[in-house]
Amino acid sequence: MASDDIVLSAENLTKRFGDREAVSDVSFDVRAGEVFGFLGPNGAGKTTTIRMLVGLARPDRGRVRIRGLDLARHFTRAMAHVGAIVESPDLYRYLTGRENLEHFARMLPAGASGRIEGLAALVALSERLDDKVSTYSLGMRQRLGIAQALLGEPDVLILDEPANGLDPAGIREIRQLVRRLSAERGIGVFVSIHLLSEIEQTCDRVAIIHRGRTLASGSVRELSARAASDRVRVRARPAGRAAETLSAFGAVEAAAPAVGATSLVGGDGSGDGVVTARIPPDRVPEALRALVSEGIEVFTVERPVSTLEEVFLEITGGETV
Amino acid sequence: MRFPGLVENELLKFAKQRRFRVVVLILVALIGLIVFAQSRARERYHDKNWRVETQERMARIQNWLRNDRMPASSRRWATFELGRLQYHLERDIDPEAISGPLFARAFANASSYLLLPLLAIVFAADVVSAEFQQGTIKLLLTRPVGRARVLASKLVAQSLAITLTVVFGGIVAYLFGGFAYGWPGWDAPVLTGFRVGGDIFDPSTVRAVPLWQDAILVYGLAWFAALCVGAIALLTSVLLRSTAASMGTMLAALIAGTILPRLASQWEAQKFLFVTNLPLPDYYSGSPPPIPGLTVELGAAVLAAWAAVAVLVAFAVFVRRDVLA
Repeated sequence: MASDDIVLSAENLTKRFGDREAVSDVSFDVRAGEVFGFLGPNGAGKTTTIRMLVGLARPDRGRVRIRGLDLARHFTRAMAHVGAIVESPDLYRYLTGRENLEHFARMLPAGASGRIEGLAALVALSERLDDKVSTYSLGMRQRLGIAQALLGEPDVLILDEPANGLDPAGIREIRQLVRRLSAERGIGVFVSIHLLSEIEQTCDRVAIIHRGRTLASGSVRELSARAASDRVRVRARPAGRAAETLSAFGAVEAAAPAVGATSLVGGDGSGDGVVTARIPPDRVPEALRALVSEGIEVFTVERPVSTLEEVFLEITGGETV
Repeated sequence: MRFPGLVENELLKFAKQRRFRVVVLILVALIGLIVFAQSRARERYHDKNWRVETQERMARIQNWLRNDRMPASSRRWATFELGRLQYHLERDIDPEAISGPLFARAFANASSYLLLPLLAIVFAADVVSAEFQQGTIKLLLTRPVGRARVLASKLVAQSLAITLTVVFGGIVAYLFGGFAYGWPGWDAPVLTGFRVGGDIFDPSTVRAVPLWQDAILVYGLAWFAALCVGAIALLTSVLLRSTAASMGTMLAALIAGTILPRLASQWEAQKFLFVTNLPLPDYYSGSPPPIPGLTVELGAAVLAAWAAVAVLVAFAVFVRRDVLA
């Protein structure tokens, strides 16, 4: 059991607003040193979940544990291990960056104010630290927010849409920072991102939330493999008859001419083509025998590894992020 | 973590939002204006023969006092008045003229209705709602500090700011008053302890105290009333989560408090409203209360009760409510 590695865990979190259940039975664990992505379309319950993780909202059911401490019962002890940005990096605009950091350092055990210079350098804000936050760009505010979150040397970093409103360069900066923090400091990072490409590049594991429920969770590779597990791609000739034959074993999703095929005969399906069908793994040999006995030439059979985007679309039923 | 640090944070926010500067400016501008207007009006009626007149009045009172059939209460008053005139004559001050110290005390009376409560609202009405509007509440409440401590630090900071405001108001009033009307007179005797019970004037509780003592009491009462207004404004700030709504509500209440007693003085239950009890210094100084049965003790008790309930509700709501803004 590596349970002592788990720095943040949600157990059956449920939140109702009136009759509507905004978050239902959401559970996951975040381990030290990993980046955990939280993925879902807008309105799926991501922000409500995050508010419960940091104690801004009380769950109607379920529990949040931070390094094993029950958040509802040991709020101050638990929050000493957490740094967070919820929704947007809202800091005091009429204060300078330094004054903001000093303000939040005073809310932490002694010693936090000594880290201000180092953190400002880490997030590349040293030169602008004595300017008012109202003059900062969104990216600078995001970085100041991260510096603020790191003041207390947390074991858990919770970031809500840190890439929101940033240009590609800003997004890359934040991604590199997050990866560094988890790798070098062993921080467990919980991050909600709505850009799928970002999740793949940033996260070790993900949970997908949709309509308040976690529909899938696991490592990025696991999830991709899972969604792909019953998908078979067969390159055969003639493609039309191959598709017909395979439809007896599972739904045929697509039949297309093969790229770089040796011979292409119109669109009647008599040529070389690729057929994608969803066939359970144990029926694949049977399906291949059927193709061969039909006299169909089979060139390749493969299980495609789908992108997270495909996984996501499949799991959420085609709703865009 | 350490509570003084939290209070320091809140005071820093007041200062950086220019709250102190605004309050100082308002006080200086307003008091300056009052002194200017008063001195213009006074110049026209200034009596140059006040010494002779005062001596004549003292002689008249001495004649009365020789009269044996005079009631004891009147005798006490006459003795006091004689002492008061004597005090002023010895120091070469017109007893009917206003002095710097007198002006400073009068400022507490005049400002306890509206000005000091207003300045209290400047600090307190957005102390929580601003954090909601700026979104900073999310950071403030996700630090390892309990919500009750966060709100307590805000209550302490706003109370400190209100205290500073009252002290500063007194200092500015004395500076302007002293400059315009002369600096001495803090130990001039004044009458205090008036009770207006029904239609009868009861002088038995009246006694003479030096002006400085009286002024400290009057400022204390004005300060107490302003603190209570601050506590109630903290509640509206917690409940409404919008600075405009919170300020508007408190302003409406204060204005209602100045109108109600005049328009509907028969409605006695209004003595249990907090706004009716803000002029505590007036009730203490003996001007007839707008509502029968109102005394300074009752007024202070009503205000304290309102403030205590407001603080309790504010804490209960603030500690429990989900932050979804």
